[in-house]
Amino acid sequence: MKIKSNINNHDDDLALWQDLRDGNEKSFSIIFEKYYPHLIRYGNSFSPFTEKVQDCVQDVFADLWLYRSSLNETVFVKAYLLSSVRKRMTRLQERDYIFNKSTSLKSIDFLTDFSIEHDLIADETTAYNVANMNNLINSLPARQKEALFLRYHHGLGIDEIADTLQVNYQSANNLLYRAVLNLRKGWKEKLLLILALSTILF
Amino acid sequence: MQDRNNFTDIEDFLSNESFRRWVRFQVDDEKWEDWTLEDPQRAKLVEEARLWILAMNISENSVSKLEIERAIENTWNKINNKASKLAETAEDSSYFWKNNWVRSAAAVIVFGMLGSWFYQQNDFLSNSSPIYNELIAENLEGLVEQTNNSNKPQIINLSDGSSVLLQPNSKLSYPKIFIGKERKVYLSGEGFFEISKNPKKPFFVFANEIVTKVLGTSFRIRAYDNQPNIEIIVRTGKVKIISNNTVAKFNKDEIELLPNEALRFVRKNLEFNKITDITTDTTLSSSNNTIEKLSFNFSDTPVAQILKTIEQAYLVDIDFPIEKLKNCHLTTSLNDQPLPEKLKIICRSLGNNTSYEMNGNQITISSEGCD
Repeated sequence: MKIKSNINNHDDDLALWQDLRDGNEKSFSIIFEKYYPHLIRYGNSFSPFTEKVQDCVQDVFADLWLYRSSLNETVFVKAYLLSSVRKRMTRLQERDYIFNKSTSLKSIDFLTDFSIEHDLIADETTAYNVANMNNLINSLPARQKEALFLRYHHGLGIDEIADTLQVNYQSANNLLYRAVLNLRKGWKEKLLLILALSTILF
Repeated sequence: MQDRNNFTDIEDFLSNESFRRWVRFQVDDEKWEDWTLEDPQRAKLVEEARLWILAMNISENSVSKLEIERAIENTWNKINNKASKLAETAEDSSYFWKNNWVRSAAAVIVFGMLGSWFYQQNDFLSNSSPIYNELIAENLEGLVEQTNNSNKPQIINLSDGSSVLLQPNSKLSYPKIFIGKERKVYLSGEGFFEISKNPKKPFFVFANEIVTKVLGTSFRIRAYDNQPNIEIIVRTGKVKIISNNTVAKFNKDEIELLPNEALRFVRKNLEFNKITDITTDTTLSSSNNTIEKLSFNFSDTPVAQILKTIEQAYLVDIDFPIEKLKNCHLTTSLNDQPLPEKLKIICRSLGNNTSYEMNGNQITISSEGCD
């Protein structure tokens, strides 16, 4: 089975996690190196201030080490880290809001746009379709987009998404469901339009 | 895991890791392709799922190894700061220090650290060459290594148009093609670097304990394993020097050098000495090599003479049609260019019918004379 490598990866992570809990600095570094870029990427999707994001991600790791003895034994490491970064970013934003009134909202928004894998597209029809789909995805509400990102880019499960977004299971499930539904609907309309146009033209 | 024969929705495909890998990286170890072709209805679904994945790419910004290393270092600093704050609040500090046991434990730790520091220092001198090998081992780009075993400098042209004049008994490792947002090469020994300008892709030279970062400039690095110092001498442009993380614990600063400035890293003390005027430093000025002494500012100079200067500087042979170029004169400044760039500029100035070809240290210029 193909999923093997993913499971192995998961096992590797767990082994590293155990060692980290026992105070192994090397395991800490390996986890750091492995996930730091992903976490920076995720953090950057909430804030344009890259230095703040770096600071925040490093704080997450610092706390991970300092409070290692109170960490859970089994955990989906990537999901845990993504969720920690998001929670910390949220707290920072709230603090900024209280002290500086610099932001209008207390929740943070996922601002990253999905892009197109141009390299894998050979023909014009596909290119056109993918561009349409990409437009649809990027016009989804921020939270739906974020749910898609966590689900399909990082492979998080529903309960991990719920934990990361700090909502209950049902809401997380709904977010994903609505995202897919919206895309479906938009896609069908586009297809019909294309169909209609082509019948007019020929 | 659900059997894929029961897949009915796009989501079934999207959440399947193996399927995603097949679409994005063409890794098909579960025979998705064959499976798709088995059933036309299925093929339609697969095609749509593929469309979704292609439209949902996230461009990962690459974070360089150097950045990650700095981030880890930073994080350890944070941990130490936080830990000491936690200790302060947890314990009444005066009580803490009155405790004899704690005091002697602290003393043991301090002496232990001093001891291991001295030990590490000795270690440094006795086996310093592994640093180069370790650095190479860390790089996964697939490096080419060139060693100069001859008795004269050797020219190396890099894929980005930069050139390196490698001194005897020195070696340079570099990727065939520079990929990613950085250009990285590894030096053991001595070389004169002329780097083609590209502000978007900084150029790093890892020379044992020292990392030199530039955007486009020329400079010399002298980092032999068996010598007490590492030296960097800047000819043009601006150069930044960071210590590699093996010594970063001792010195975290970034040092900037301007033309005619130099830096000496004393391995014994892990110390940086900046030399602001290289002419006053006797060892540096006496060992200064030919290429830095030659001027590449030419005003109305016969092309033959310009090419002669280049031959001297880079220790190359240049073959050119002497008769056809005898009346050609050029006014140009080539100080800041790597060798290929210098040749390109000369050829362009001579006219459209001039071109050059380079084969090792043999350069052939073909020309019909100047316009």
